[in-house]
Amino acid sequence: MSKTIMGKDAYWMNFFGLMLLTLIEVAAVGTDLGPTAEGFDMTERQLTLWILTIIAIPKFMMIAAIFMHLWGENDSGILTLTALFPAFFIIIMVLFIGLTHPEAATGLPAWCRPGTYGL
Amino acid sequence: MERSTVSRRLVLISLLAMAMIVVPAVTSLPSGISGVKDTGCNCHGTEASPSVTASISGLPETYNASETYAVTVSFTGGPSTDGNANLGGFNLWASDGTLATLDSSAQLWSPNEASHTTEGNDQRSWNLEWIAPDSGVDVEFILHTNSVNGNEGDSGSSGDEWDRAQTTVLGFGPNVLPDADPFKVLATLIIISTVLLSIIVLYVFYRNNPDGFEWARFAPWITEWLTSTDHKKIGTLYFVQGLFFLGVGGIMALMIRVQLSSPGNDFITQEYYNQFFTLHGTTMIFLAAMPLIAGFANWIVPLQIGAPDLAFPRLNALSFWLQPVAALLIFTGVFSGAGADTGWTGYAPYVVSENTHAGVSMWAAGQIMLVASSTLTGINFLTTIAVMRSPGMGWFQMPLFTWSILVANLMLFLSIPAFGVGLIQVYLDRTIGTGFYDVAAGGDPLLWSHLFWYFGHPEVYVVIVPAFGVISEVIATSARRSIFGYKSMVYAMAGIGLVSFIVYGHHMFTSGMSPTLRFVTMLTTMLVAVPTGIKIFNWLKTMHGGSLVYRTHTLWTLGFLVTFTLGGISGMFFPSMAMDVHLHETYFVVAHFHYVLVGGTVFGFFAAIYYWYPKMTGRMLDERLGVLHFLTAFISYNALFWPMHRLGVVGMIRRTHTYYITTDDIQALPEWAADWNMLISMSAFLFFASNLLLVVNMIKSLVRGEKAPADPWGGWSFEWMTSSPPPTPSFDPHNLPMLKDANEHVANEPGRLGQMFRRLMVSDDAPEEGSH
Amino acid sequence: MSDDYGHDDHPSPWGPHDWGHGAPHNSFAPLILSIGVGLFLLMVGGLFTFGEFDGRYLPMVFVALAVIAAAIVVWWRQDMSFDGSYEPRARGVPFKNIQIRKVGVWVFLMSEMMIFSSLFSTYMRYRQGIPRCDTIFESGDWVEGVAVNCFEPASQLIASSWWHIAPGAINTFALIISSFTIVQALRWAHKPVGSVDEDVRRKRIYRYLGATWCLATLFLTLKMIEWFIGFHVPEIGFLGIHEHEIHSLYSEGYLINNDHYQAHHYIDEATGAHMVANIQVSASLFYVTTGTHGLHVFGGIIGLSYLTYKAWTGAYNPQSAVSIEYFGLYWHFVDLVWVLVFPFFYLY
Repeated sequence: MSKTIMGKDAYWMNFFGLMLLTLIEVAAVGTDLGPTAEGFDMTERQLTLWILTIIAIPKFMMIAAIFMHLWGENDSGILTLTALFPAFFIIIMVLFIGLTHPEAATGLPAWCRPGTYGL
Repeated sequence: MERSTVSRRLVLISLLAMAMIVVPAVTSLPSGISGVKDTGCNCHGTEASPSVTASISGLPETYNASETYAVTVSFTGGPSTDGNANLGGFNLWASDGTLATLDSSAQLWSPNEASHTTEGNDQRSWNLEWIAPDSGVDVEFILHTNSVNGNEGDSGSSGDEWDRAQTTVLGFGPNVLPDADPFKVLATLIIISTVLLSIIVLYVFYRNNPDGFEWARFAPWITEWLTSTDHKKIGTLYFVQGLFFLGVGGIMALMIRVQLSSPGNDFITQEYYNQFFTLHGTTMIFLAAMPLIAGFANWIVPLQIGAPDLAFPRLNALSFWLQPVAALLIFTGVFSGAGADTGWTGYAPYVVSENTHAGVSMWAAGQIMLVASSTLTGINFLTTIAVMRSPGMGWFQMPLFTWSILVANLMLFLSIPAFGVGLIQVYLDRTIGTGFYDVAAGGDPLLWSHLFWYFGHPEVYVVIVPAFGVISEVIATSARRSIFGYKSMVYAMAGIGLVSFIVYGHHMFTSGMSPTLRFVTMLTTMLVAVPTGIKIFNWLKTMHGGSLVYRTHTLWTLGFLVTFTLGGISGMFFPSMAMDVHLHETYFVVAHFHYVLVGGTVFGFFAAIYYWYPKMTGRMLDERLGVLHFLTAFISYNALFWPMHRLGVVGMIRRTHTYYITTDDIQALPEWAADWNMLISMSAFLFFASNLLLVVNMIKSLVRGEKAPADPWGGWSFEWMTSSPPPTPSFDPHNLPMLKDANEHVANEPGRLGQMFRRLMVSDDAPEEGSH
Repeated sequence: MSDDYGHDDHPSPWGPHDWGHGAPHNSFAPLILSIGVGLFLLMVGGLFTFGEFDGRYLPMVFVALAVIAAAIVVWWRQDMSFDGSYEPRARGVPFKNIQIRKVGVWVFLMSEMMIFSSLFSTYMRYRQGIPRCDTIFESGDWVEGVAVNCFEPASQLIASSWWHIAPGAINTFALIISSFTIVQALRWAHKPVGSVDEDVRRKRIYRYLGATWCLATLFLTLKMIEWFIGFHVPEIGFLGIHEHEIHSLYSEGYLINNDHYQAHHYIDEATGAHMVANIQVSASLFYVTTGTHGLHVFGGIIGLSYLTYKAWTGAYNPQSAVSIEYFGLYWHFVDLVWVLVFPFFYLY
């Protein structure tokens, strides 16, 4: 219960960190990122998505590790494993349901469409 | 007729009628035509012609019972002119009563249908007789007349024009009742069922203790059952619910089989067929198989792992009570003739179409509750098995039935949220009008198939894996030796569980889903045969090394091995995409999944009933009745489902309410298909009747069965150490049984991977935190 | 009922339960709850049919909710006497000595993860499969008056200005703060007996829990403002803010049944032509996914009401503190989901 980060109380530090990251998120959406995005050779929307995704990951881990006690306690190891157990099934679901689209035959690569069987 | 069997005659009669319906274009003009009451004389032109006027005269406004009326049908106009070779023809259809001809100008196709003959095709009016029915219902007449120009070319049908006339003769009796208010019907049914249920409950209460019968004891007794959180009582409730709905689903199957026993049958209408067919599937999977699994799991798992009860007894009670309420919702529509008619898969976009019956919303709502129930069951069993094994019982000392429940619940638990989300989407689409599956708004029907089968495929393993567990227990006990290859059995089940999530796409090969996904699921589906094969060979090897004792449960287990293997083999045709495209919509699929679900799951549970019934009730079942049950059921079951393979291969379509046969090779099924269907239907009745033997056996042994010892079969897992029936709580919480494995050996030492996992776990020698 | 081991125990199925004898043997709550849920689903099915509202069923919906509430009350009456003395722990690997309830909560969270994965998969599928409205607008591949099927993310409206995004952003902070207040409540409950004054402990716990309750309610209130009500920005001269209305999503026409969605940013300036869009799918996705999350928050409010009341009676001490922890796990999970929902539904 008395874990610390950099000498300060872990809950407080976590709280401040989360607030900061969220502020960055909101700012990233509100700010005009157009010129920056061109530098990365992508649209502003893509850049925003990247920023949001990258920030969401540490936020996710901070809440799980500190608020949900998956870090530094006696039972953290096995409970982390428990929490990660559905990962495989989530990946399958996202791959099979989320990322397949119903174009069917027109979505086939050219080499397996009718007329090109001879390779 | 050389073979004067009933079915043969039926075939011939139906053949005559059906051949006409199916191919109206072949038998055309001169000799009259049947089966055109809905389509019209469409070989003479797709639309009725305004220049022809058909009329019926001689019919009364209201008829008298059994009176004979002279009817004249005629037409005017059209190309029919005097001097033509032919003038015209007619077809008259009456919904009731009997038609009769007066001369050779007209002929009867059936008592309800008449048309002209070759001789009668050069006139414009025909005389007939109609004998009124004595039922008093309204009778509808549909007349088609064809005005012909008498040409020879183009089968003589070009240039002809036709018309349709329709009239209704009122019956003398009370008119057909207006459509009932669904809520009144439902209320009536609820009241009737409540009264029936109360009577049964009172009788059970009386039988419970006939000598000490006293009304004052009734309230506590019934409260105990309604509120109990004891795993054994809840198990019994599940068990009763499961068997009840097994019967209900069976009766629906019988209705379906009567309808399909002969081609073109109209025993139940398409409308009702669809409802029975939908509810048969939903009932059997969700309200019969799943509660039976949950019943056995509730009863046996805590006993097998030496736990006093489940981890969350109140949640356990909640998972049960959600089920009967959900069942009521699922059946809501059918009481008022508006039950779900989507098939148990409820494919989008039809499931959200306004053309479906109103009951579909409640069918979805009921299943949402079942999803909640299964989720709670999952939490309970996963936690119980993970944390409440008795001291000394490691993961690899758990009995295989407990393992099977663990694997099944893991699969169910992780897959059913997808189904729940899909159902909520459907429910919201049908209620508040969201657009998830609205194709016009860009909704994707395939999404439903994905969500459904992401759950649905693990689900079919959820119902078979516990049967594997039962078979492993029974075969080891009966062969008087430990199961062959215990670890490989566990890994095989876990493998089936893991792979089940990747293979679900094989249900959707013909749906137009992503081709890449099709390829992946095709390969992984074939992979399923490997762990399943391992299990089969392990069972065979267990028998090979043991000395088998033939009890009823052993017979069912042997039956399971045969039928499940056959079902597994027929299953191996589907992963091959090209094969699947041919077989997908045929009875071959019906045969396959009934072979694995009935021959697998149900046979497994019959074995379980014969095996554990003495433990659950403290009474032995009658072995002679049991063997009779097995023999009759096994034979009739195979006669019921085996012919479906053949019907499927020749292309009998599933999901439809009827089928047609013909001598024409291409048009429909061959003639012998009707014979086989008749055999299937008769076997279905036999199979149903044979299972009543089980019910009789159970009731009989409850009333005056032989008292069961603690361990009647010589089993050695924990449940046989308690008395029959077991005490409550099942084990003294302060004095739990301790497992000491005589075969403890070096194989239980963890490998490198095991050591890695072990580091993440709380070790055995961690200090006890607090007390309990 | 007395059991077969001689423990004589007669708890009422209506509660309160005597936890000294282990978990409840009898409870009416499951039966009543099932009936309530069934009745609720049945009556909602009557209340709306394909978007048509039929008010005759409304009273029965409230009856159903009352039945559910009654069941929860029975459940809580049994739990109210729980003092933490009955806290069975796991035997054997891998959870040895971890509280069984804690394992149960984590197992429950596994299923929650799958629920939200399903919703996100649905979202990804549609987001990928349906072209965006602004892409179609810019391509000029549309005709005035004919609705086009396209995906209009709610962020088009929500992220269009700082004022529009304000409720969502405040909500994000509200959830993070509430996650923090609930761990503070847990910390106070955990402080060893004797190290703090018991009354101070009681006050701290129920105030922190109460604060969590308030923040959760704020979350739902702001959500309603954003969805249905909208708000008014007053004239603040020195900041250069002019008086204007912030419209709710409802009044902007961002609705699940809107197949003729017209937005001001889809007007061709050259010709003055309007593009109309069928946005039923995108609106359904937005409302159902964020609504599912909102329902979880609502469930949390219900749970918090119980916890706060029980804390007010001073029932939490180091022995029973774990109850707050288990609820906290759920609550943090709801926060976690928001961490994903907020960027992908409100910002992107």
